[in-house]
Amino acid sequence: MNDRRPVRILLADDHALVRRGVRLILDNEPGLEVVAEAGDGAEAVGLTRTTEVDLAILDVAMPRMTGLQAARELSRRRSPPRILMLSMYDNEQYFFESLKAGASGYVLKSVADQDLVEACQAAMRGESFLYPGVMSALVRNYLERVRRGERVSATVLTPREDEVIKLIAEGHSSKEIADALTISIKTVERHRSNILGKLGMRDRTDLTRYAIRAGLVEP
Amino acid sequence: MNALARLPLYWRVVLINGLVFVVGTVALAFSPATVSTRVLASEAVVLAVGLTVILVLNAMLLRRSLRPLDRLAALMDRVDLQQPGQRLPETGNGPVATLVERFNAMLERLEAERATSSARALAAQEAERQRIAQELHDEVGQGLTAVLLGLKRVADRVPDEVADELRLVQDTARSSLEEVREVARRLRPGVLEDLGLVSALAALATDTSTHSGIHVQRGLAAGLPQLSPETELAIYRVAQEALTNTARHAEADTVQLSLTRQGDSVALLVADNGRGIHGRTEGSGIRGMRERALMVDGKLSVRPRPEGGTEVRLVVPVGTP
Repeated sequence: MNDRRPVRILLADDHALVRRGVRLILDNEPGLEVVAEAGDGAEAVGLTRTTEVDLAILDVAMPRMTGLQAARELSRRRSPPRILMLSMYDNEQYFFESLKAGASGYVLKSVADQDLVEACQAAMRGESFLYPGVMSALVRNYLERVRRGERVSATVLTPREDEVIKLIAEGHSSKEIADALTISIKTVERHRSNILGKLGMRDRTDLTRYAIRAGLVEP
Repeated sequence: MNALARLPLYWRVVLINGLVFVVGTVALAFSPATVSTRVLASEAVVLAVGLTVILVLNAMLLRRSLRPLDRLAALMDRVDLQQPGQRLPETGNGPVATLVERFNAMLERLEAERATSSARALAAQEAERQRIAQELHDEVGQGLTAVLLGLKRVADRVPDEVADELRLVQDTARSSLEEVREVARRLRPGVLEDLGLVSALAALATDTSTHSGIHVQRGLAAGLPQLSPETELAIYRVAQEALTNTARHAEADTVQLSLTRQGDSVALLVADNGRGIHGRTEGSGIRGMRERALMVDGKLSVRPRPEGGTEVRLVVPVGTP
């Protein structure tokens, strides 16, 4: 990706007000530019035929064609755009369904103002973006499997990572974890990314595989 | 005997009483017994014995005729429309047999009527819930999302002295949005319509272990047959109720949640290792589950497990439209 050229974004949400709010935030960010807007999934799929798009941000539930259907459709293309799902549902089933449909991230609308830009950047780097709720759900599941004596992963977490993972499981935000351990947010985030890597949850494929193996979703 | 059996109840009682009186009178007339003007002790004994014989005879004959009425009354006391199919045996052909037959027919009608009216009530309730959830989601939820996004734009440009205040406003808007989403979710789980029954049950399992700490063992079979939306909703609501009961009352640490195919049916099983339901009466929760089951021709059983704990099993035939 050329650093000079901004990331071209397609934005699809059936609520014009939400679309406008998202657009203002993204356009305000250097390196991101909304080049197309759609009010439903079918329109979004249609627009990608005429407009060149690097990243599609799709609302999960839209009329005519849902965001999930549109994501499936888009990811079947020969060179599909990166896809982010935007959703009201704090529910890991939607998250995994989105991953299966080809999305690399899932952003909750209630924290979109904080997470959206970060999620866009993660998506463009080819990493998956986990919203806080699903992160703690995954980690809780992992810890429970460890407690029951299942062999879960080959690598061992450092004592510090162990501390961090327990706090994540309890649903604490990066800021709270940073305060509790008196380290910087950046360090917390580095630990978090290392933990995800060690547990085999770094990208879309890994995550889906983990969730199926852990029985969180059906294959 | 046949002619007697066909008589109306009133005439039968008159006939039996009359018969007994006639027998008494005849006995009195043709026996050597006499009664003095002042009753002697020996005569009183004879009279008392005669009267007793008459009363006992009368009672026995009447009882034979009226006993089915008592059985009918007992069934009327006992009958529970939520467990349909209770009927009195239609034996004999007397007037009481007709009554039993009519009563059974009435039960039949009541059950049918109850099933349709509770189905209608539940369907109306679900539709209303869905409408409210949808509106909360689409109107209030999206509006608040737009507010949050707008606030973010403002927050990026305000001077530091108001930034803290603005952050408070943002947090308020955020928690309201989360509240709205939670209310909508409780009213109607969107995941059921969007992703289907298996995903909805998986989400339910995650919710249960998150909120109660109970470990949920899942056995959700892949490749289940296509179910009607009503059936999916009924199965989901029964599972939801059963898991809620487990979390609230069972003191269990593990619960098994499975959905499997059994021939022409699908079977939902929610089985915990808690303290079981021995001797406790069915609460409104279980009645609600029965109602749901009834609506989709399902069979619901709630019983203690031999190894301890409670098991709720719902078997629903596939292909009933």
